[in-house]
Amino acid sequence: MKLLIIEDEQSLLKSIVQYFNQEKFLCETAVSYEDGIRKIEDFQYDCIILDINLPGGSGLQLLKYLRQNKNKDGVIIISARDSLDDRITGLDIGADDYLTKPFHLSELNARVRALIRRKKAEGASILETGVLKVDLSSRTVVSAGQNMPLSKIEYDLLLFLMTNKNRVVSRQAIAEHIYDGPSEQVPSSDFVYSHIKNLKRKLKERGCHEMIQTIYGLGYKLTP
Amino acid sequence: MSKTLQQKNTRYLLIWLPLVLLTGTVLFYLLMSAHAGHMAEEQLELKQENIRNAFLANPDTLPRSIAGEYDLLAGGSVPAGLLHKQRDTTVYYPSNKRWVAFRILTEPYTIRGRNYQLTTYISSKEITHLIIKVFIAEVFVFILLLVAIVIINRKSSGLLWRPFNDTLKKVTDYDIVDNESLALSTETGIREFDQLNQVVATLIGNVNQAYRNQKQFVENASHELQTPLAIIRSKLDLLINTPQLTEETAGLLADITEANDRLSQMNKNLLLLTKIDNHQFPGQTSIDLSGAVEKLLANYQHFYDGELPLVWKSIQTGISVTANASLLEVLLNNLINNAFVHNIPHGYVTVSLSPHALIIENTGHPIAGGTDQLFERFKKGREQSKTTGLGLSLVQRICSIYHYRLVYTHMQNIHRVTWVFSQP
Repeated sequence: MKLLIIEDEQSLLKSIVQYFNQEKFLCETAVSYEDGIRKIEDFQYDCIILDINLPGGSGLQLLKYLRQNKNKDGVIIISARDSLDDRITGLDIGADDYLTKPFHLSELNARVRALIRRKKAEGASILETGVLKVDLSSRTVVSAGQNMPLSKIEYDLLLFLMTNKNRVVSRQAIAEHIYDGPSEQVPSSDFVYSHIKNLKRKLKERGCHEMIQTIYGLGYKLTP
Repeated sequence: MSKTLQQKNTRYLLIWLPLVLLTGTVLFYLLMSAHAGHMAEEQLELKQENIRNAFLANPDTLPRSIAGEYDLLAGGSVPAGLLHKQRDTTVYYPSNKRWVAFRILTEPYTIRGRNYQLTTYISSKEITHLIIKVFIAEVFVFILLLVAIVIINRKSSGLLWRPFNDTLKKVTDYDIVDNESLALSTETGIREFDQLNQVVATLIGNVNQAYRNQKQFVENASHELQTPLAIIRSKLDLLINTPQLTEETAGLLADITEANDRLSQMNKNLLLLTKIDNHQFPGQTSIDLSGAVEKLLANYQHFYDGELPLVWKSIQTGISVTANASLLEVLLNNLINNAFVHNIPHGYVTVSLSPHALIIENTGHPIAGGTDQLFERFKKGREQSKTTGLGLSLVQRICSIYHYRLVYTHMQNIHRVTWVFSQP
């Protein structure tokens, strides 16, 4: 799958590229407005990750140009500006998602994959990892043919870990992902522990031992 | 204790003016008496002259004595020491059986070789009466003067100080957060106040400018911080996924991640605070408070799953408040979050919502020192490394925008926040 990352901050760009390369994505990069336009015209991408503040023009302008040319590539805006207005403007112009800096790469990964899934499957879709099968439209999980009832938080948690499978996901990233209040008010990530514990217990009951590993005090990793 | 300028002025007037008037009265009395004495002397001397002339003209027919007018005595019994000067005496009037006060003057004469002593009389009653009457009139005039001076002084100082009081009121009402310039007249008609207003206006202008600069600085700094924070975060996400991670490095990474996360939170809160100060949350809607509080509490119980303090709630339904939805969410979140975060093991939280106020009470550690600073930025009740120290100041800013009242009290280890969102 092919990604275009338009971001002028070299260091951040490098991180994103490295992360998605590890996820077996093909990554193209652009560091300015003109650069971005050229890359858009040359190829088709499964997803474009777009910064708003770019040298040579705004990411929103670029997005407008893209949509005017009937380009249907998925676009995720990443921006340091976090106001409802910015968000609405971005989504109005035709962005598929909006992520505020600073974000966790695992979160960006989850968003990119969700977007690609939506674009490809057009509705019903099943996510499979090992013995786990998640029906995304009905939000149900089946483990080795057995139904596994989960709470909303546990479902979100499992899906997030599955999307980032074989990777260590930090507690903070999980906390931000599953908390649905104002982003300034994410409570301390301590609460993640008890939900992981519940999820682990339920997985164990269905025969999925050690599927979720605790990585020291850092975070968690799901291996199929 | 401080008194108003007018009270002070009146007090000085009331202390000093009567003193001055009293001295004036005494002086006036002395002068009057002196003048009256002088007048009596002239009258007595005139009488002496008249009677001497009359005696010279008719030495035989002129009566030697008329009671209350004169005595003309050959030889004379008045000692030399009493001659030539006024004396007081009384004369008995048998007709109405009264003693009447007189002023007398005795002069010796030698007429045709014989010695005489002529004593002339004038009644001193009239003069005394006159002095008393004039004196009383004078006291009345002085009292009138005193009252008039005090009243005029009060009135005129009220008028004179009006521009000053206007300025004082405007400066008192001034709120730096609104960042409005003060409209102070520089044509009050009084040069000192013109000057004062000009100086105050300039000062406020400078203060506003400094405040704007500072706000701008915080905003810019917070915005600029987002990118490096994002870089650190992304690098940490990569680092924790490197193979051969030892427990030691993992521990270090966990601490860095946690600190970086707190930094991000703090920065977001600072940005939010700046946005609130910049009035970037204009829209207002009617919000179902009962529902919002219930939902928040449910969320909390959801997230914390079992490790939560006990929650007692009494929430009246159908209570709403008009405000910006985002701001209200921040406010409620912070108030409720505080009650949970600053709790103790096996503690409790009570939440009660009535038509005018939301009261949140929780167990917690006693707070050392005063609670006044609790709402200031970066003030923490205790060593709580997991909080940003900005929550309560956010709450306070939001309350001041909507003129809500926020009362914080604590007794031993029970903390109580009362948020009054409407007037009963």
